[in-house]
Amino acid sequence: MKLSLLLFILYRKLKRAVRVNRDYRSHIGMVRLKILIKTANGKRGRLFIFDRGTLSTRTGGGHQSDAALVWSDASTGFRVMASGSDEESFRAAAEGKLRVEGMAYYIQWFTDGIKLVMK
Amino acid sequence: MADIKAGHLVAKYLKEVEKIDTVFGISGGHIESMLDGFTEYSIRTIDVRHEQAAAMMAHAYSVYTGRPGVCFLTAGPGFTNGLTGIANAYMDNVPLVVLCGRHPLRDDLKGALQEMNQIDMVKPITKWAATCYDARRIPEYMAIAFRNAATGRPGPVFLELPPDILNITIPMESAPMPAKATRNYAVVPADEELTAAADIINNAKQPLFLGGTGVGFSSCSDCLGAFVEKTGIPFMLLNYGRGELPDTHPLSIWDCGNVGLLVTLGQADVIVAAGLRFNWLFMSGDVIPAAAKVVRIDIDPREIDRNRKADAGLVGDIGSVLGRLLPLVEKKDRGEWVRTLRAASYSFIDSELKARLMASDPIHPIRLVAKIQEVVGEDALYVVDGGDTSYFGQVGLFTKQKAGVIGSASGLLGCLGTGIPFGIAAKLARPDTPVVVLNGDGSFGFNSMEFDTMVRHNIPVVVVVNNDCAWGMIKHSQEMSIGGERLQCAELGTRRYDLMVEGLGGHGEFVTKDEEIVPALRRALASGKPACVNVMTDPTVTSPATPLFYQSLKME
Ligand SMILES: Cc1ncc(C[n+]2csc(CCOP(=O)(O)OP(=O)(O)O)c2C)c(N)n1
Ligand SMILES: [Mg+2]
Repeated sequence: MKLSLLLFILYRKLKRAVRVNRDYRSHIGMVRLKILIKTANGKRGRLFIFDRGTLSTRTGGGHQSDAALVWSDASTGFRVMASGSDEESFRAAAEGKLRVEGMAYYIQWFTDGIKLVMK
Repeated sequence: MADIKAGHLVAKYLKEVEKIDTVFGISGGHIESMLDGFTEYSIRTIDVRHEQAAAMMAHAYSVYTGRPGVCFLTAGPGFTNGLTGIANAYMDNVPLVVLCGRHPLRDDLKGALQEMNQIDMVKPITKWAATCYDARRIPEYMAIAFRNAATGRPGPVFLELPPDILNITIPMESAPMPAKATRNYAVVPADEELTAAADIINNAKQPLFLGGTGVGFSSCSDCLGAFVEKTGIPFMLLNYGRGELPDTHPLSIWDCGNVGLLVTLGQADVIVAAGLRFNWLFMSGDVIPAAAKVVRIDIDPREIDRNRKADAGLVGDIGSVLGRLLPLVEKKDRGEWVRTLRAASYSFIDSELKARLMASDPIHPIRLVAKIQEVVGEDALYVVDGGDTSYFGQVGLFTKQKAGVIGSASGLLGCLGTGIPFGIAAKLARPDTPVVVLNGDGSFGFNSMEFDTMVRHNIPVVVVVNNDCAWGMIKHSQEMSIGGERLQCAELGTRRYDLMVEGLGGHGEFVTKDEEIVPALRRALASGKPACVNVMTDPTVTSPATPLFYQSLKME
């Protein structure tokens, strides 16, 4: 539940940034990418759809995407994402609690964008 | 008193002083007497089909042999065609000796055939460029050329030899040969920097060693092996340093790929970088965490603080520096750190690791690479050339050979077309080792006429074309920037490169299905001929290198 809420808030923040944050707008540019964040069982998740300078979303973990960040469970996902720490993500990945499906670079791009917005 | 044709002096110097066995180039009237010298002194000539390829072959020959490579160009167009290859050697810090004809001095400013100012053109892309005006001084100029190419930070040199001197006969004793070949003298680091570096390394918790071309040209596998094994530091060897220790060494992290490298770099507290430039591939140093300590080792003092201030800077040849550092560093077991970074990296490249194991239709390029690895193995020389193709080859191929997996399109000039010339040089340098080039279909086009060279000289290299019918890296980059419906100059067609090679006298294979890959590769290797295995792969797949490349040029 907490993870779903976090992803919803994240979406609202990014959506707002698309409107008001020049740096973020420039970051997303004309890119067309679907980034999914979900739990391994697919029960929780949110899809972020970037399409030529716009952002839209779908809830749920069952969508097709260009890259997905897959958390072993919702509470780890919440804890690590809320911390915003690269080190935490690294540890989670090392412990098998975080996995990337598709290209890791797209996830990096997505999280770089989040860092820009949270700055 | 014996006389000698001055053109023969060039060959005499190459053979007797520097022990050069092979040279690369295309003939031309201006350099005829030098060509005859190659015959006289039994130097093997590999006559190619484009001078660019000759410079690239000589470049790679020096990488594989550790001695300066030599190419010859005729005046004018021979020279201009060679420029890309020379520029590539310059950007890659490779010792390359270019011997070039020019129009006669006698005819300066008279509109002579191929009259042009070559020296001014080539100067910015060479370490040293000069014209020899006196036949008696040819050995001396040759010695200066070799010395400049090989010492310090290596690079290409250019010696222009006019017909006025090549085509005259002089008494042999008027042009004496130097007594000794070019050699490198030791440069050693300051003691206080060695102590500082050892302190940093001994106190590191999560260190990483990165080696570049300087490691390769230092031929320091013994010192390097002793250093990483004593300190327990995981390492990645890049560029022409690749293979100085086997990719399969337990501390090598090539199995984590470039993505794993970036993930690991982000967590490292100490980075030891040896003979490696922090250029655009390292976002000019920005990928190194601000809090990390950096130990730089380089033959060129100007490199030590470039793009990132070093906490300790050790100037010198990598092998001799590591040899001096070895007694000062403590023995450590860093197994826990190595296991952690490996596990984390694998989580980030999970899909890529799975794609290697699964049959795919259309064929995924990383699957093709995995199959090449399966058939050809770890005792081979691999060359990669292309955009996305280079990425897949670099991360998916592993060898125990020195310079076992190299590419140039991933270096600084990012020059497509190096694959086939490099592969030819690899086979000439190590004839008993299988050589496989993984080529993008776009990149294949630049030097594929060198299949004729391979056929004439019986150089059985296997070239596997990762055929996505596109300049893939550009296409996928344009999809991100200007949009897939406005692709410009990005697409190619379904072409039978295999038939083209058959037409030139080589062996051809055409592959469209996963299960055909292995038998086609086996037939190509068994043919004993230069071979092209043309494999149709998934045109929608891109590599992580492409968004990185796209981001590096984004200005707003
Ligand atoms: C000589 C040269 N010309 C053009 C480029 C620009 N360029 C970079 S990557 C690329 C596409 C390479 O296509 P291909 O060899 O088919 O490899 P792919 O990306 O499709 O795997 C091009 C044209 C270059 N780097 N070098
Ligand atoms: Mg291609």
